[in-house]
Parts: sequence; C-alpha cells; structure tokens
Amino acid sequence: MTTAPADTVVRDDPRPASEPTSEARRLWRAVRVPVALFSALLLVGVLLSLGGERFPSGHLEPENPEPTGARAFARLLQEDADVTVARDSASAVEAVERAGEDTVLLVFLDHRLLPEELDALAELGTDTVLVQPSLRALRTFAPGTDMTGRVEDEGALDPECTLSAATAAGSADVAGELYTADDDVTARSCYPADGGAALIGVDSPQGATTTVVGTGTFLSNRDLASDGNAALALNLASAEHVVWLRPDAPEEVGGSEIWELLPTGMLWAVGPLALTLLLLALWRGRRMGALVHESLPVVVRAAETTEGRARLYRSRNARDRVAASLRAGFLERSVPRLGLNTDTAPETVVATMAARTGDDPHHLGRLLYPEADDSYAADDDAMLRLGEELDELARRLR
Amino acid sequence: MVVTGRAALLALLATGAVAISGQIGGTVTGIAVGLVVLLVVVDVALAASPRRLVLSREGETSLRLGGSASVSVLVANPTGRRLQGSVRDAWPPSSHGAPKAHRVRVEAGERRRVTTTLTPTRRGDARSAGVTVRSIGPLGIAGRQRTLQTPWTVRTLPPFHSRRHLPGKLSRLRELEGRHTAMVRGQGSEFDSLRDYVPGDDVRSIDWRATARNDSVVVRTWRPERDRRILIVLDTGRTSAGRVGDTPRLDHAMDAALLLTALAGKAGDRVDFMAYDRTVRAQVKASGKGSQVHRVVEAMAPLEATLVESDPAGMVGTVLAQGRSRKLVVLLTDLNATALEEGLLPRLPLLSSHHLLLVAGIKDPKVEEMAAERGSADALYRAASAERTLSERHRISAELRRMGAEVVDAGPEHIAPALADAYINLKAQGRL
Repeated sequence: MTTAPADTVVRDDPRPASEPTSEARRLWRAVRVPVALFSALLLVGVLLSLGGERFPSGHLEPENPEPTGARAFARLLQEDADVTVARDSASAVEAVERAGEDTVLLVFLDHRLLPEELDALAELGTDTVLVQPSLRALRTFAPGTDMTGRVEDEGALDPECTLSAATAAGSADVAGELYTADDDVTARSCYPADGGAALIGVDSPQGATTTVVGTGTFLSNRDLASDGNAALALNLASAEHVVWLRPDAPEEVGGSEIWELLPTGMLWAVGPLALTLLLLALWRGRRMGALVHESLPVVVRAAETTEGRARLYRSRNARDRVAASLRAGFLERSVPRLGLNTDTAPETVVATMAARTGDDPHHLGRLLYPEADDSYAADDDAMLRLGEELDELARRLR
Repeated sequence: MVVTGRAALLALLATGAVAISGQIGGTVTGIAVGLVVLLVVVDVALAASPRRLVLSREGETSLRLGGSASVSVLVANPTGRRLQGSVRDAWPPSSHGAPKAHRVRVEAGERRRVTTTLTPTRRGDARSAGVTVRSIGPLGIAGRQRTLQTPWTVRTLPPFHSRRHLPGKLSRLRELEGRHTAMVRGQGSEFDSLRDYVPGDDVRSIDWRATARNDSVVVRTWRPERDRRILIVLDTGRTSAGRVGDTPRLDHAMDAALLLTALAGKAGDRVDFMAYDRTVRAQVKASGKGSQVHRVVEAMAPLEATLVESDPAGMVGTVLAQGRSRKLVVLLTDLNATALEEGLLPRLPLLSSHHLLLVAGIKDPKVEEMAAERGSADALYRAASAERTLSERHRISAELRRMGAEVVDAGPEHIAPALADAYINLKAQGRL
C-alpha cells in the first residue's frame, strides 16, 4: 500500500477549506448535542409547568391540599362562617376587632409569636382555640393549666366530659399533649388519658373561653374524615367569624454586611495582598529561558498497513479474500515440503498430499483449491474451520 | 526582571502589618507597598548585569547513543559586581541534560565552569538552545535574567549494537583467508603464498614445480581476493520510518550496515556508503587504508527517515555514475512489493550487468505473529492480511533472486549477522 503524497490530497479537494468556516463548523459540531439536549429539557420543563397550580405547603396550612395540610377543614369552615386567615398577630388582632362579638380565634404555631404579641391576642377577650400551644401561650391564655403528659398513637379517645362540643362529636384523634388544670381553676377536661386531658376548656381572665387542644392532627386533611374529628373541629370553631392565625416564620431584619464588621486594616490589606499575589505569580511563573522545541522524526509502526488491511477485510466481511490468503500462505509453506515446487498443478499437489496424509483427495481439493462456490467462505464459522483445518494439515505434514 | 520567594514573603509581611494597623491603615499601606517596590527596584539595579557576562564552552562533541557526554560553560564575570544566581544550559528535551540549572556565585573578575551532562535518547545532532543566566541582587529578593547564545553541537552516533557479532564473523573470515585452513583454488581467489606441506592439506594444492626445486613438498595457498569494492546504500524513504519493535527500520539498517562496514574493512575490502531516498542524503567514499566505520557512523548520525517515496531509478543512476568497476551493492531497504516492483525491478538488469546487488530487508516479527493468530473471525482477518503481506514479501524476494540479486530477509535481531554471513558467503564463493 502506498501513501498518497500530501499535495495530491490538497489538489483533489474541490473546495479549499477556509480556516474560519471550518473552525465555526467544528465549534457547531462540538456544541450541537449539548444545545439540543438542553433545549429538550427546557421544553419538557415548560410543558410540565403549564397548567400547574402552586399551593403553599406546611403543616395545618389552610391552603395546603397535602395530607398534612388543613385545606379541607378551612373549606368546611367557610361554608358556615366568615373565615379570615391571618399571617401575623397584628392582622389577627385587626380581624378580630373588625369581626365583633361572635368570633373564634384559632391559633396555630404560636411559638412563632413574641410574648408581647401573645399578650395582645389574649387581651382581645375573644373565644380562642389553641392548637398544641407553647408553654408561654398556655400560661398567657389559660393561667392555672399546665402540660402534664403526652400520649402517642393511642387511636381515638373518648370525650368522657360534659363539654357539649366534645360529647356531640364523640371519640376523636386528639391524642397528643395532655393538660391538667390547677384545683382552683374552673376547667372542663375532656378526652382524658394517662396524666391529663387532651382537650381542656378554661375561662380566661378576660371572661372568654379558651380551649386548648393537645394536637392538630385531627384537623389535617388526612384525618379530618375519620371518627368525630370533623365534628369536633367544627364544634370548637362554631361562630359567625373565625380568625385563623397561622403566623409566618419571623424574618430576620437588620444586621450588617460582612465588610462592615471587618477592621479597617483588613480592607487596606487588600492592596498589599494583591502585590503579594503578583510577586508570587512572578516568582513561580518566570521560566529559566524559553522552552526548547525539538523536531521529532516521523515514526509509524511498520505493521500499520497490514493492520489497516485487516480492518478493511473485516469491515467488508471479505471472507473470500481471507480464505484465498490463508490457502496461499499454506501452499507456499507446505508445497515445498512435499518436494514439489509452487508451480505444480493443483491435481498433483492434492494427490501427493493425499498420499502423504491419507486424507480424502476430494476433501483436500475442496479445502485447498475451491470451486466457484467456496463453502469455506460462507460465514465466519466456516472461515474459522478453514483456519483450523489448514493448521491441522500443516501439523501433519511437518 | 525576576523576583524570588523572598520578595513574595516580604509583601506578605507587609500585608500582615497593614491588616493589624487599624485606623492608620491608609498610611501604613502606602509605606509598606512603597517599601516593597523600592527594595525590589534597588535589588534589580544592584544585581550584576547578565548581559555583560562572557560565556564560552568546552566539552565533548560526540557520543554513542546510550552513553553520556559532558558539556561545560565557562561563565566569566568582567563586571565589578559579584554574580549570584543560577545558570541553565538548555538542550533539547531528548538530550536529557542534567542538572537542569546550576546555582552559581562568580566574584567580580573571576570565572566559573558549570558542567551539564547529556544523556541523549535520540540519535542525531543536538544543538544548544542558549544559556540562561539569572542574576539575583545582594538582597536576594529580585534580579535580572537573560538568555545568551553560545552555540555548541553534540552529535549522538548510532549505537552499533551488532558490534558484539564482530569477533565471531571475523574468525569466520580468517578461516576463509586460509589462516586456519588451507583453501583450494576457486573463482575470486588469488595466489597467496607457498608453504611446506603439512598432513591434512589437499594434495591437489601441491605445487609440483616448486616441490621439485625444494627439499620438501610445497603447497600453494590461496586467499580470497582483497580490495574488492562494496557500496552500502541506505534507503531513507518512507518505508524506513516504519517502527519494528521499538526502533525504526532505518536504525536497524544502520546497525547492519555498520557491522558490514567493520567486517569488510577487516577483510581488506573498500567500503563506500550512501544514504538515498530521492536524493543523496549522505555519502562516504572509501579512502585508502584504515577502518571506514568511524566515518560512516559520523555520516549516519544525523540521518532521519523522510516521508517520501524512494526513487530507485535515481539510486541506480547514482550508483552507475560512481564508476563502472564491478562492486557489491548492498541495498538496505524494506522488501515492499509495490515500491520495489515499480521502481527497482525494471532497472535491476542494468545494475546487475555491472554490479552484484544484495538487497537486505528487515522483517517485522509482528506480521508473523499476526499470521499465526486464530480463534476468532477478527483474528482470522488479521491473519489473512498478514499472510498476504508475507506472501508479497516472499514473491518479491523470489523475483529479485530470479533476476540475479542476492536477498537477505531477516528480523531486526538477525539482520546484522545475516547480512555479514551473506557477505562472507559471497566472499567464500569468490563472487565478489
């Protein structure tokens, strides 16, 4: 195989490739797959987001349709009462003041409220339902009561009290924190369990009723439908106006930027630090003289052309060439061993070889000098068999 | 300009000082940065000027591949200041100069020698790429650097691995020359001397006329003709660039050519050498007595295979132009069917009519391994391709032999002894 001289290749190329074009094309080839993938991803994302409605998430969130949310209860309440959802204590106070007499304040997550906010809410003097309150809220709204225990996974509890809201609802999933009232406080304890009652109603100092529930689970979308949960929830919140206070997590305000906290010297040190980095770069980056280049000779593997031809045979499945080549090689080596020369007629070679090895001359003829349709070039297995048989024959002739 | 690690350290200290300075940071910054810059500038100014140094060289100019050579640079400092810093003698990467840089200290008016040891891994000429001098000031924080040119070339000669075969081949040659056994007269041998008959000599070699004049029986001895001419032609075309094992064909061919040159020199023959692809790359003419090996080695050292198709027609023309007196032309090339069929074969009769041609080709053992591969369709494709290469090689060898040329075809390990044997056989047959 001869390598074509380089100038021939250039001349045969009809369109001399200009450097920028080929560079741009190369770039385009390199980026087109990632660009296509990214576009497809973007398209799928946009299609998926179309028509999707975003709901707020969170435990006992009135707009949250997930199992832990309380959207179902909020919707139920809205059928009979005017429900106002307040996100901070100020708006809750405002809503209660605007609503007037027949109002129930539902307080969730009161640990997010400051003590003074709790005081302000307590001073409203409205009926309040505290759901799993903090100790501070408990002390503010229902003085004389205390959290005294906790039950987990008890299933539904029975009311066993005289509070109409509870007895009417029957058993409910209120197992959670348990409360006990001091002896000098008039309290209505319902759903008793070991160590206290899961629901307790006391009269607040301002004259209103405060109901404390040890858990909000029975209000969640998942549990609202079971037992007397829904009934209990609605009974507790039975009023013309319901103010649902679920304070948002307080946001951080104020604070100073990080550089305001640094000593002034640090800021000034940026200058000398830059100089240090520059000197470091100069120190490490400066070479001792230029790089020395060396023109290396062209060296290729001598077997390259042979291997290239093998790949060519394989890519074209040139089994006939393979068979012919293997046979020629075999004959070249074996025929002189029989005392014949390479120009000897095939019939003589076959006859001599058959006489030497005792093989069937007919078979030898097919193996070494095939007819037009060579069964040994039919498929890869036949080709492999040819190789083996030739090797075997060569071994016996040795 | 160069700076050292000390300059960076100084600037870092300045940074630290500014960082703890508090309210007076602005002033401290100005002073600290100014001080660092001032010190660097002063040190650069006080460093000995590398431009005014005087460099000269001494050392070895050639070595065999695999060996080492020392090359020195003499750094003379005619300036009034002490030179302190480092010197790098730069050589191409394959020369593997060590150490990479030398720390030097040359007092004013003195000079120092820095020696770099080269251990080249490639044959050929290596040229010095310049001497870089880095002169650091008295404070040791900054300095000046300059690359100066002091040309020097170190030639790496072919290794001549096949030298180990030389004693064996020489003893065969001596046998041939009758120093060990008497030889009968044959073609291409000449009368050597008369000596007394010793039992074991061939009775046919008894010189009866001389015996009659003498008291004892005298035999004639013969020796092969001396002062035959041999022309070794090294093909440096594309086929020589092929790597067989770890070494290009060209280097294997050089090794074989060197053994033949040494052997023929000892045998009293005159050896010419020529490297050819499309033009003469190197040429050495036989000159009187003495070994040609050294001159041939020198001529071979810078040769590299070029990626062009060799021009056998031009080669034949050049050989014929060198005189019509009969000689042995040894062509070291690849037995590549396409290249030889198109180029050499048509011109072979012309060459053969004047000279005896010996073609030496280097086989690739890889191809023979490939030809024996079995076991999968893939292996068989490779085997078939290798068989084809082998059979083409076989065919071209047979064709060359049929046209009267001698052919030596051997693997890289055996080409040098095989070529020497072929030469000795030709000599024994008196065909030279």
